[in-house]
Amino acid sequence: MGGSAVSRRLALISLMAIAMIVVPAVTSLPSGISGVKDTGCNCHGTEADPSVTASISGLPSSYNASETYNVTVSFTGGPAIDGNANLGGFNLWVSEGTLATLDSSTQLWGPNEASHTTEGNDQRSWTLEWTAPVSGKDVDFILHTNSVNGNEGDGGSSGDMWAKAQVEVTGFGGELPEADPFKVLATLIVVSSVLLSIVVLYVFYRNNPEGFEWERFAPWITEWLTSTDHKKIGTLYFVQGLFFLGVGGIMALMIRVQLATPGAEFISQGYYNQFFTLHGTTMIFLAAMPLIAGFANWIVPLQIGAPDLAFPRLNALSFWLQPVAALLIFTGVFSGGGADTGWTGYAPYVVTENTHAGVSMWAAGQIMLVASSTLTGINFLTTMAVMRAPGMGWFQMPLFTWSILVANLMLFLSIPAFGVGLIQVFLDRTIGTAFYDVAAGGDPLLWSHLFWYFGHPEVYVVIVPAFGVISEVIATSARRSIFGYKSMVYAMAGIGLVSFIVYGHHMFTSGMSPTLRFVTMLTTMLVAVPTGIKIFNWLKTMHGGSLVYRTHTLWTLGFLVTFTLGGISGMFFPSMALDVHLHETYFVVAHFHYVLVGGTVFGFFAAIYYWYPKMTGRMLDERLGVLHFLTAFISYNALFWPMHRLGVVGMIRRTHTYYITTDDFQALPEWAADWNMLISVSAFLFFASNLLLVVNMIKSLIRGEKAPADPWGGWSFEWMTSSPPPTPSFDPHNLPELKDANEHVANEPSRLGQMFRRLMVDDDASEGGSH
Amino acid sequence: MSADYHDHDDHHPSPWGPHDWGHGAPHNSFSPLIMSIGCGMFLLMLGGLFSFGEYDGRYLPMIFVSLAVIAAALIVWCRQDMSFDGSYEPRAVGVPFKNVQVRKVGVWIFLWSEMMIFSSLFSTYMRYRQGIPRCDTVFESGDWVEGVAVTCFEPASKLIASSWWHIAPGAINTFALIISSFTIVQALRWANKPVGSVDEEVRRKRVYRYLAATWCLAALFLTLKMIEWFIGFHVPEIGFLGLHEHDIHSLYSEGYLINNDHYQAHHYVDEATGAHMVANIQVSASLFYVTTGTHGLHVFGGIVGLTYLTYKAWTGAYNPQSAVSIEYFGLYWHFVDLVWVLVFPFFYLY
Repeated sequence: MGGSAVSRRLALISLMAIAMIVVPAVTSLPSGISGVKDTGCNCHGTEADPSVTASISGLPSSYNASETYNVTVSFTGGPAIDGNANLGGFNLWVSEGTLATLDSSTQLWGPNEASHTTEGNDQRSWTLEWTAPVSGKDVDFILHTNSVNGNEGDGGSSGDMWAKAQVEVTGFGGELPEADPFKVLATLIVVSSVLLSIVVLYVFYRNNPEGFEWERFAPWITEWLTSTDHKKIGTLYFVQGLFFLGVGGIMALMIRVQLATPGAEFISQGYYNQFFTLHGTTMIFLAAMPLIAGFANWIVPLQIGAPDLAFPRLNALSFWLQPVAALLIFTGVFSGGGADTGWTGYAPYVVTENTHAGVSMWAAGQIMLVASSTLTGINFLTTMAVMRAPGMGWFQMPLFTWSILVANLMLFLSIPAFGVGLIQVFLDRTIGTAFYDVAAGGDPLLWSHLFWYFGHPEVYVVIVPAFGVISEVIATSARRSIFGYKSMVYAMAGIGLVSFIVYGHHMFTSGMSPTLRFVTMLTTMLVAVPTGIKIFNWLKTMHGGSLVYRTHTLWTLGFLVTFTLGGISGMFFPSMALDVHLHETYFVVAHFHYVLVGGTVFGFFAAIYYWYPKMTGRMLDERLGVLHFLTAFISYNALFWPMHRLGVVGMIRRTHTYYITTDDFQALPEWAADWNMLISVSAFLFFASNLLLVVNMIKSLIRGEKAPADPWGGWSFEWMTSSPPPTPSFDPHNLPELKDANEHVANEPSRLGQMFRRLMVDDDASEGGSH
Repeated sequence: MSADYHDHDDHHPSPWGPHDWGHGAPHNSFSPLIMSIGCGMFLLMLGGLFSFGEYDGRYLPMIFVSLAVIAAALIVWCRQDMSFDGSYEPRAVGVPFKNVQVRKVGVWIFLWSEMMIFSSLFSTYMRYRQGIPRCDTVFESGDWVEGVAVTCFEPASKLIASSWWHIAPGAINTFALIISSFTIVQALRWANKPVGSVDEEVRRKRVYRYLAATWCLAALFLTLKMIEWFIGFHVPEIGFLGLHEHDIHSLYSEGYLINNDHYQAHHYVDEATGAHMVANIQVSASLFYVTTGTHGLHVFGGIVGLTYLTYKAWTGAYNPQSAVSIEYFGLYWHFVDLVWVLVFPFFYLY
């Protein structure tokens, strides 16, 4: 702005001031009216006068987002005398959008309030420009006009009249008003319990259609609600995991419909933010983790020859915390204000009042999940440390059990940091502490550190168990022992170790120290080494064996392809320079879906096909299984592969929509729209193909072929019990024994073990033979 | 989904009542389900009770209902354990822990995660202690404007270590916890004395009295904490000790608060000019209350456990066969003591 403009403005202001002081005779404030939206122009009479008519013209009945309309405000009637210098004025207030002046007869008090100027005080109609909002909400226009006679007595306003006009312009269906969350939650609980009861009753009926008796229902349902049997809890986890895999999948479909075409408004931005946040939280915490916990519950005690887990009742508590936590996490959604922070919940946004109200309960639900994971960790680590059957040393444990051990160790040591961070966020949002309040000196990066200290091990927590499944399946299908058992164990342990010192790569663009960036760049690249060892071992296992192509084998082969691709795209991120370009783009989305879907989900689909006969005693349909694999594998790749390219050309992640028009600042090339449409179509195909799995499982439960104890020719402990296994899984007084050619080595404690022995008080000695 | 339940449902003890520990796992229980619902209700209602520091009393009754649900779950849990006499103490079968009690390994692993929790809290403390300038320093530098809140770090020790009277509750608490670690070990020692070497009635009394002493010391700890945080106390006039009658203010009344509306109460006055520096100490107060509060919650958890142990000891259930339960609790209790030994210097002295 030039100096002349400033001086002109100053001159104008002083002129106005002089006019207001020197000419008190003027009527209808010639310099404009403000703040009369609710009170009315009561300086021109206490009540609006019916002889004056105010009107607004030029408005559409419903508006388009961001379009500009010329609005004309005018009045007729009243005591105004034509030719008078002060014959009328107006004040216009709009609830949404922005007003702009077209000429010097009008002026703005703000983006949503306008009035006449001294110059425009001799008119009966004025024209303004209104730019419609993007929110899609209904817009209120409130107009007050004065009709002024220009007399000089009584402060100049006696005999003047005014009128009010109100117009509502409907939006294009924007956000609904927020409902009372507690009413909605209550409704939700009632509706879902009715649905759940129907499903439960049907399952109870199908369970034994011939011997159906109502007296047997109460003990049956009590058995499921109170069971501490690892197999029943495993099944509950498994059902929960699959259910939320579907819920998260539907959320993903909503996201894909929104992104199918550029500039779409299928769901509003507020809802979009909830969908991607809850898609992430659901898929990681309520789908992937329970699926893993379900298999771990089912298989680990069977594989190590234990009657049950070490703490069966704590195990039940671990499970039951999860559905309750899920309710809390979703509380906000159903009242229109679910968490909108992204699953990472970055500070300081997560603790501000601008977030949706559901963020508090989203944090609370995750605190419960942290408690659940901690209990699970205690349980599994104890079980694997102390309950291996006689003869089974650390290095005789099957690889799936090893993978659960490594995953639980990582989770157990990292999740307390996340829990503490969540508690800080929850307290900030409730009792009003100031851990992440920037104004009070809080440091948002501290949250990132606490979150990613957990978050990075967490992504390995969900992938390492898939490694275990693949190792089991590939060894059984290739009909030989796994190639390089010890190197597999050390590779997993290596991944577990390195996982704690790589998390800085999530924060490269946060301005952290270059030295630390360099360190985490190197350690992140180091992860490729143990992962590569595992992939070569799997290939070598197949090379040395003779592969049987079952459905689970196909999923395993699919895993090897997609996980390797995901691993390779992962190696772009530790490189700092590339990371800055690819940060927050669809390249990241493509990468982690390649490892989490192509890795974890494919791995656990293999696990379903592999262990389902053991769990239920029924075989799955192989033909449906192969169809599921083929359709899912193709649609999956069509779904996620194009995202790499979109990311490289700059399509931003978590964005509500995107544009391909060339005049837009962040426009994508035109072909991006075609790829996005392809992605969305493939997403629906992928979702539909996974329904085949559900159909297959239900069909097999109802009339599947009876499964033998060992349908695939596996040789770990779980195949030596019946299908389904008895309860308790092994007789605690007559445990199985692992015979080994190197028995003398296996049963001798290692160096470390001998050290432990010396440290431990011998409990038998201290009891002095009292029994 | 298998139909195997009717093969063995006759042998299942009630999911509400005492277990028959003779026949091995599994034991059904309603406790986990009830406890989860209680925890969920509690967090939901806490979110209603406070929103960004604003209190809404309508949710208070539901807070008590949810606490009652949690208590009911704990009672079911404990009731099932009352019949446990140590005859079914599972022991490790695999190397390297062979013959060690399974529950002992579990407690050690649990303490590992507790360590991570307090490490995270101390990390937060170190970040802010290092990253935010001290209020004294800012005040002395003169780099502040009258009436504008300055973000600075005010360690609680500035108030607590200002006089012997202020530090008295924390100091007594330190000794209370250390002595309680001794009394819990004495309880274990008496429970562990070989059968025949001691009269059973004497054993019962010794064990439950030592456990009750531990309970009282833990309760003393929490009481003094409340006095130090919220209540304050009165020092009477005692002539021969040279004491004058005066009040020791609580941290709350000294304006050491997390709440946004109240931090203005915390200010520094320049004696010479009379100018006020308003200090925004929300972060320091949050750190102090949440870290010491987390420790306090662990003490409270200990009280809940001790209530069960004391009651069970009163019935005379502890003998060398079952004494190890006291040892597991003792492991946790020593850990809580140890954490206090770290919290005390960092938050009360330095």
